[in-house]
Amino acid sequence: MTQQPHDAQQPRDPDAPVFDGPPLSLEEELAAARAEPEPGPDIDTVNESLADGLNRCPKCGSTDVRLRGSTGQLVCLFCRHEWQESRVEEEFGLGEGIDDLEGTVVAGGAEAIAGDDDVMTLTCGGCGADVVVDTAHALNARCHWCRHTLNINERTPNGAVPDAVLPFRLTHLEAVEKIREFASKRRLFAHPRFKKEFIPENVLGVYLPYLVIDARAEAAYVGAGEVQTRRWTEKNGDNSTTYYAADVYRVDRTVAFTVDDLTIEGAADRAQFDGSTTNNIVNTVLPFDTKNAVKWNSSYLVGFTSEKRDLDVGDLQPVLEDQLLSIGRSQVHASLSKFDRGVRWEQEQVDVGGSRWVAMYLPVWLYSYYQENTKMLHYIAVNARTGETMGSVPVSQWRLIAAALTVGTFLEGIAGAILVGTA
Amino acid sequence: MIADVVMATSGDSAPLWLLAAGPAGAAATYWALYRYYRNTDKSHAYERDTVIAAQDVHGSEDKVDHISRTRDSDIDGDNSSDHRDRVQRVR
Repeated sequence: MTQQPHDAQQPRDPDAPVFDGPPLSLEEELAAARAEPEPGPDIDTVNESLADGLNRCPKCGSTDVRLRGSTGQLVCLFCRHEWQESRVEEEFGLGEGIDDLEGTVVAGGAEAIAGDDDVMTLTCGGCGADVVVDTAHALNARCHWCRHTLNINERTPNGAVPDAVLPFRLTHLEAVEKIREFASKRRLFAHPRFKKEFIPENVLGVYLPYLVIDARAEAAYVGAGEVQTRRWTEKNGDNSTTYYAADVYRVDRTVAFTVDDLTIEGAADRAQFDGSTTNNIVNTVLPFDTKNAVKWNSSYLVGFTSEKRDLDVGDLQPVLEDQLLSIGRSQVHASLSKFDRGVRWEQEQVDVGGSRWVAMYLPVWLYSYYQENTKMLHYIAVNARTGETMGSVPVSQWRLIAAALTVGTFLEGIAGAILVGTA
Repeated sequence: MIADVVMATSGDSAPLWLLAAGPAGAAATYWALYRYYRNTDKSHAYERDTVIAAQDVHGSEDKVDHISRTRDSDIDGDNSSDHRDRVQRVR
């Protein structure tokens, strides 16, 4: 089911003629009548119990609902009632049947992005006012007239609503503590300006978009391996040289395997891992306990920001194949112990028998710092489920160079002393 | 460690390559500290941290050549541990 933006469309005159293209021939009309209905998503994950607008507390009807981090449940701030959505793992059978996956199975929230209209207008169910929500960054808004919280729960064509959400578990205080601990271990050579402007309380809770994939694959590798058969030393005057003899083998390996919940970035801005960005920092705090993800309910996002997905399954197929090839290589590694001189893989192949793609919002506490002189955006990221912390701290180059020169001079002094002593 | 170096070189004139210890140590110190602060080499170890169920590995090896004398202690281009180093892809 697709949610159309409630934008400012003029109401249509019901009596006005509607132009829907040139008339069809009888055969075309009959073919259209016999046609199968448009296929829906392979896995329909729409939360049928919710519609766009007001998410009311099931006990008292208040819309002041948000996530309580310490319990991972939604809590009504009016009557303190707590509840939660069901886990998608059981609800949609996501942990089952990986061995039997065929083709590319895409859940509703991971379907191709059909539009780039991020701004949606909701009509407040409390007072009737129109409230604008920028779905690129948030899926909730307060009605500015009656202060009801409005939520976007149904599918949007711009990729902002995923299939599931993994609620924050670490609180803001815990995240601040993790970031402070991480940075305090890296004070000595940190850039002085970073130290001066370091305010970990500014950490932001962000739901980042990921595609979580189950896949069945078979990988094959061909290369050369060498086994040492002899090793000897030859003396030539004062010098001695070690020589080796070896047998060369043509090696091939094949392995079939399944992966469960492989997690790949769903936003293009963070999917590039070259040295010009610090995207690898956020990537490093993976994995998440994605088995605990729950059915979509935008009340989980109240108080946090979110980043919408802008990559489709088609865009990420090469990334999946690349990761499957790496996983296959790690699986066959143990079978190469015979080749004590090593193996050089030369060709590789992966056949993805089946894959299942689910879009999820995963929770990250992000502390960001923009270093002006290098124009680099540094992050300290905390996995808001496991607490794993990783970061990039801008360095003071002159202090690093001074430390390197000190160590170098010390070692050179020792080397000089040895040479003089043995001359 | 320094004692080992002294022991290894005692009784004979020490090799001149010891003079490289200073620049090498400086470069290693710089790079180690830089990596500790910037973590440019870190990424998600999906090969290890994902739930993977693998069947038995199949394969074969055929002896195709013999190297009777070489100074190389290992094969050229060993990439058996560099799982993310992509090679020619066969479709």
